[in-house]
Amino acid sequence: MTKLKSTYLALIFGFLYLPMAVLVLFSFNSSKYGLRWESYTLEWYRSLATDETLVWAAFNTLLVATLAASLACVVGTLGAIGIFRYRFKGRAVLQGLLSVTLMSPDIVMAVSLLVLFIALHVKLGFLTLLLSHTTFCLPFVTMTVLSRLEGFDPHLIEAAEDLGADEWQAMRQVVLPLAMPAILAGWLLSFTISLDDVVVSFFVTGPEFEVLPLKIYSMVRLGVKPEVNALASLMFAVSLLVVSSAQCLLQRK
Amino acid sequence: MANYFKTSVILLLSFWLAVFVLVPNLLVLAASFLGRDESGFINWSFGFDNYLRLFDPIYLRVFGHSLGLALMTTLTCLGLGYPFAYFLAQFRTSLRPVLLTLVVVPFWTNSLVRTYAIRSLLAAKGLVNNALIAIGLIDEPVRLLYTRSAVLIGMVYILLPFMILPLYSAIEKLDRRFVEAAADLGAGRLRRFWHVTLPLTLPGVIAGSVLVFMPALGLFYIADVLGGSRNLLVGNFLKDQFLDARDWPFGAAASMVLIGLLFLFLSAYAYSLKRFAAKDDRQAQ
Amino acid sequence: MFVAAEMRQFQQIFTRPFGLAKGSLCKRVERECKDRHTGMDCRYPEHREVNLGHPPWRLGSGNPCRDDGQNLKLTTLTGGIDLRWFRLIAPLLILSLCCTIVHGKEQEIRLFGWSDYLVQEVLDRFTLETGIRVIYTTYESNESMYAKLKLLDGGGYDLAIPSTYFIDKMRKEGMLQPIDKDKLPHYKNLDPRQLDKPFDPGNHYSIPYLWGTTGIGVYTAKFELRTIQTWADLWKPMFLGRLLLPNDMREVFHVAFRVLGFSGNTTDPAQIRSAYALLKKLLPNVRLFNSDAADVLFVTGEADAGVIWNGAAHRIQREEPAFRYVYPAEGVIIWMDSLVIPKNAPHAELAHRLIDFLLRPDIAKLSSEKVGSATPNAEAVKLLSPELRNDTTVYPSDEVLAKGEYQTDIGASITIYTEYWEKLKAE
Repeated sequence: MTKLKSTYLALIFGFLYLPMAVLVLFSFNSSKYGLRWESYTLEWYRSLATDETLVWAAFNTLLVATLAASLACVVGTLGAIGIFRYRFKGRAVLQGLLSVTLMSPDIVMAVSLLVLFIALHVKLGFLTLLLSHTTFCLPFVTMTVLSRLEGFDPHLIEAAEDLGADEWQAMRQVVLPLAMPAILAGWLLSFTISLDDVVVSFFVTGPEFEVLPLKIYSMVRLGVKPEVNALASLMFAVSLLVVSSAQCLLQRK
Repeated sequence: MANYFKTSVILLLSFWLAVFVLVPNLLVLAASFLGRDESGFINWSFGFDNYLRLFDPIYLRVFGHSLGLALMTTLTCLGLGYPFAYFLAQFRTSLRPVLLTLVVVPFWTNSLVRTYAIRSLLAAKGLVNNALIAIGLIDEPVRLLYTRSAVLIGMVYILLPFMILPLYSAIEKLDRRFVEAAADLGAGRLRRFWHVTLPLTLPGVIAGSVLVFMPALGLFYIADVLGGSRNLLVGNFLKDQFLDARDWPFGAAASMVLIGLLFLFLSAYAYSLKRFAAKDDRQAQ
Repeated sequence: MFVAAEMRQFQQIFTRPFGLAKGSLCKRVERECKDRHTGMDCRYPEHREVNLGHPPWRLGSGNPCRDDGQNLKLTTLTGGIDLRWFRLIAPLLILSLCCTIVHGKEQEIRLFGWSDYLVQEVLDRFTLETGIRVIYTTYESNESMYAKLKLLDGGGYDLAIPSTYFIDKMRKEGMLQPIDKDKLPHYKNLDPRQLDKPFDPGNHYSIPYLWGTTGIGVYTAKFELRTIQTWADLWKPMFLGRLLLPNDMREVFHVAFRVLGFSGNTTDPAQIRSAYALLKKLLPNVRLFNSDAADVLFVTGEADAGVIWNGAAHRIQREEPAFRYVYPAEGVIIWMDSLVIPKNAPHAELAHRLIDFLLRPDIAKLSSEKVGSATPNAEAVKLLSPELRNDTTVYPSDEVLAKGEYQTDIGASITIYTEYWEKLKAE
């Protein structure tokens, strides 16, 4: 490993981590505008802990992410099984629609969903947010499951049917266990995407259901509030924790 | 029983996609031909006005800027990410999982938080300016924020991990023996890279580019936070039309044009893939 | 489809941190060869004759040691868990749903207002005295507030704080509900000169909250005060890339109209077009458009001069004494913001209580002090400290007010304004 290569790696890592490191550092800074280092303080973390709206927003975000991922998994898996197993007239159209959803930029999807909800006079809130998140998670799950199913021996299902299983039993006891890894991977993927989503949430949510990314967005727009530094540092710490613990737990196996 | 399951499963997916993907896009298409209403949402006056209005050089420039920025972001990420992934793949196997985890962590951090971090860094009294003044390179803070370059830096910062990971997957799978064989046959470093390494890792390059290019077109909040509310990008422009100016038909037309452009790009991408595969086949024969 | 290849990439990318680079979330468990339902291990002859008790087509119904996907354990975050553990998640989800429903019953109201007007102290005091939580959401301009309320069909928010010209528009469109003044004992504190204006005769739909001006702010350490005394001065080349303008269509156009000598509320398309042409020339001088955080931007040094509200100017002066607020020679812009209740507000009753609270003299005084704008509450004005009462940034003199112009509703011309504004922002 030459010096040059190591330096380059270090530089890019530095680029990726420096802004976050500075943020964490300044979250302990008592200066209100975060410009000069004044003194060490935990004040911002304290005010964060007492801010109920943020806690509820975080909870709401997790709730929507879990529900949307689960719903997308159910619909997506069943859909993938349908596409894989059966040949029917609109099969190519369905696959085309799935690809369209996968490839659309968030903003285009957000705009179209908003138009739909307003046209149907649906109140913007938890329901519209859930449905929207499920929709953009759906293709990820479907495609993941489909690609795994396509790698399997179709004779397995035939064998099961020969042994006396009906359609539903064959699905539940043969196909589903085989596809389970892909379903879980799809769930994880959907969960992550839903957690981080800003664009779609910005368009389709109502004031009665606040989500964390949007709260952070409005806090960021309102200028340099030190609580945002503290919140940002906390979120960074959480993701660091989740990823490294996942890694550690698996290394132990 | 077989039919029950089959029909219900197919109906479920079809229904969902029809209601939440097909119908909304058709509604947007329909809306793009209608007129704007001052107090409602749309006026039932049919016409091509919205599309004609889009052909104003100002709006065409917005589309051009967005595509240009997305392209620049993709190329920058590629330029920075490819060597990174390459060197990472050559690193000692013992430390590699740790380094990979380090690459993935920013990826799992909320992108708004990271945009905010970049803003703090580039601010007039932020770290970069303070450092430059401390070194003595400049006297007055440089105006880094609220410029196009700030938006580019922000985009690259957010989207770099999306480029690195597919590239790494592809490079890791690369069979070194091919490169060695080329070296044995007398190819220099550049030729080895251009004719062996690059084509073999091309799927990763393309996957990464798609993963970076698509979001780069739509992430309006990065341009909002770092760009100062100038509607330089299509994302901001669409957001303004729907949530501020309330000109829904005009926004719908712009959205349709964007979809059209993307469709063109994707077709070109699919076509190039086919040609690439065909060329491979022909060369193999 | 070529997408399938991408999907495999996606899957690998996201399962990478969990060390499962090859795309499989399951690891074959070598230790156990027992059928997980019956516990029989087919490697031992005495087990082979036993009827396994599940249907023959079930995967793994023969040799449990066979690698057919049945004897797999899922190695996810917690490593080696059986899928049946996921049944624990369902009750947790139901529990969390119950929590959400319970939470909804708490007393809270939603206030939709200008980012300038967010005075946490006032809201905390209200919560302390009444137990009602106030959730404050901000907007940058009347247009975005109006757009949001239209999307929610007059619901979602309990109170909003539009400017005068929008109250007229919203009242005519039926987006507001009448305010019951019997529920407002402190209503009498308001200055009668601010009441019963043409945009809301009798004040049936709006209660004045704060009023102020939009003028020029300049950081005198960077630019000398005398260089920027009129609206037209903003166009000077010395301000290239230095100005902050509000992200507010009417304000920006008003500036151009004053320079051209027109009324700020004109509906003449030719005049609007000439204002647009003039503003295009101003664009190189503009660094950014922002109404949300103008004070923060000046204090952190991102902007050195620009058009801002007097409240923001007053707040900046508290941090940076070198900052000055200038009343332009052509005439300042005057506005007043009032509290309104949207037509389908969920907690209209509680909203009345908040309005009454804000009309109390001590609270109105506190609001005026913290925000830096003038209060229409006559009783509160009596309580103000002399420095604030005489501070011309917050309470302009009568001559300034005489030369200034209020913004009024422009009706259908708003579409012309909007078109040009979008063009300006797109450059």
